[in-house]
Amino acid sequence: MGSMIELKELTKRYGDTTAVDRLSFEVRPGVVTGFLGPNGAGKSTTMRMMLGLHRPTAGVALIGGRRYDEIRHPLHEVGAVLDADAAHPGRSAFTHLACLARSNGIGKARVNAVLDQVGLAAVAHKRVGGFSLGMRQRLGIAGALLGDPAVVLLDEPVNGLDAAGIRWIRSTLRSLAAEGRTVLLSSHLMSEMAVTVDRVLIIGKGRLIEDTSVAEMRDRFERDVLVRTPRTAELTGVLTRLGATVTRTGDGDLVTVGVDAPAIGDAAAAASIPVHGLTPRSATLEDVYLEMTNEAAEYRAVAEGDRR
Amino acid sequence: MNVFRDAVAAEWMKVRTLRSTWAFLAGGVATTALGALILFSLVQSYDAATPADRANFETADPTVVTMPFVMFFIGAIGAMLITSEYTTRSIGPALLAVPQRRLLLGAKATVAGLVGLGCGALFALLAFADARLVLGDRPKPINPWPQWTGAIPTILCAALIVLVTCLVAMGLGAIVRSTAAALTTLGALVLVAPIFAHFLPTVWQLRLASILLPNLTPQLAGSDHPYLLSQGGAAAVTAAYVLIALTAGAVSFSRRDA
Ligand SMILES: Nc1ncnc2c1ncn2[C@@H]1O[C@H](COP(=O)(O)OP(=O)(O)OP(=O)(O)O)[C@@H](O)[C@H]1O
Ligand SMILES: [Mg+2]
Repeated sequence: MGSMIELKELTKRYGDTTAVDRLSFEVRPGVVTGFLGPNGAGKSTTMRMMLGLHRPTAGVALIGGRRYDEIRHPLHEVGAVLDADAAHPGRSAFTHLACLARSNGIGKARVNAVLDQVGLAAVAHKRVGGFSLGMRQRLGIAGALLGDPAVVLLDEPVNGLDAAGIRWIRSTLRSLAAEGRTVLLSSHLMSEMAVTVDRVLIIGKGRLIEDTSVAEMRDRFERDVLVRTPRTAELTGVLTRLGATVTRTGDGDLVTVGVDAPAIGDAAAAASIPVHGLTPRSATLEDVYLEMTNEAAEYRAVAEGDRR
Repeated sequence: MNVFRDAVAAEWMKVRTLRSTWAFLAGGVATTALGALILFSLVQSYDAATPADRANFETADPTVVTMPFVMFFIGAIGAMLITSEYTTRSIGPALLAVPQRRLLLGAKATVAGLVGLGCGALFALLAFADARLVLGDRPKPINPWPQWTGAIPTILCAALIVLVTCLVAMGLGAIVRSTAAALTTLGALVLVAPIFAHFLPTVWQLRLASILLPNLTPQLAGSDHPYLLSQGGAAAVTAAYVLIALTAGAVSFSRRDA
């Protein structure tokens, strides 16, 4: 049921800062796609351009083959939350949603249904100004779900949420994707994405760094084993013959890639080489992500330092 | 599927559910009540005066006193249609729901126009009712309308000018985006500028006063007034206000990032 999101050479410049730089990618239906990047990478700017709030300097973003501002009654096709604080504090949750619903020909029954779905039915007629951050996030999501859209876009939806709120968003998004919808959510933290998303788009400095699946990213980890032995030269020979790639650390330890810890232990025992330490190491998704975006983040820190 | 009709219905719902709308309406009511009070005391001193003095009384047209304030309050409702969304960031969801900027602005202008015309007519009629009740059938010059039918052009034109003010204020809101800035500019335009005009050299005084929004009412109605424009000229200036405000508002609203 979902529609494809396509970006073609999307670019946004503010004066001489390039916030988004010739960004091209596709977001497919049926899976949750994470849109990752460090602070200032251009995630919000990109999403605002997809939704017609910001005008691209160049390039286009298409949802189901059309620009967002070409869609009539768009809430039926796309639901989005860009900002948890985007409701008038003087209106009640119900009137806030009812105004949005009315503009897209959606009835009040549906407003009550989404309020129920996000767990705000009890406070439907309370002023939004008194809501906690978690309640405002839920209200935003209720607004996104009003038209039962095939595409859902969320900018940093778990910012400021407690553990229960994060779990709720996760399961909501996963079930939306399972129903065949296109789900894109942004974050600057890999850790919160790892369990929620199937695919990741990683950007830095407004450019696409990676377009991959979480499974692929895990497989690409360098898994290595740190081996400590008094007879490094002999063990290096043994392990190399097993097909491992062996390097030496500054402390005289061996870093072994290509064979796992039990195989190393067995081979050392068979050759009667004593082993004093055997530590399997695996990078976390967070490590890999940080490594990928490091360059972009460093550049940004330097650039900001220069400006001051 | 009528996108424009739905957008207008949503804007109507928004204006009804803003507390400030009702506060500004209350401001209009208070102004009208105050105007009635002033008129009442004026008539008392008129009744106490000698016939010779009575002939020197100025015309007690309540629309001259109250309508500039009504224009400010009702215009504020029009400005808030846009500025309340920018100041609370609810412009984001509003544009997600209706991403066609011109269409959204058109829907807001329609509601501003309806509110302006409705409230303008209401308050102009209230001022007229005041005058009838308090002045009764006292003669000219204190009574501007010894025959009630004489008031019809003034009432219609006063309502029209409130409508125009509401559209101008909405256009201002689209340009400045901030409630404070929009209301300050609106106040300057309808309340301060007419006073300021008095401090200009005499030639300029009349020229400026003739094109100010509150002073367009008598010029449009063709009633007794000191200003320079013919009815046709006043109509042209009125149309220019609407055209300039809506065009500038639309350009600003559709060109800039939300
Ligand atoms: N209106 C604007 N005017 C000037 N520069 C802007 C504007 N909006 C964003 N930027 C710049 O564009 C870049 C991208 O910002 P953006 O908000 O899209 O990043 P982000 O990836 O969403 O970051 P975060 O994780 O902090 O939300 C930043 O360098 C920012 O300073
Ligand atoms: Mg952001």
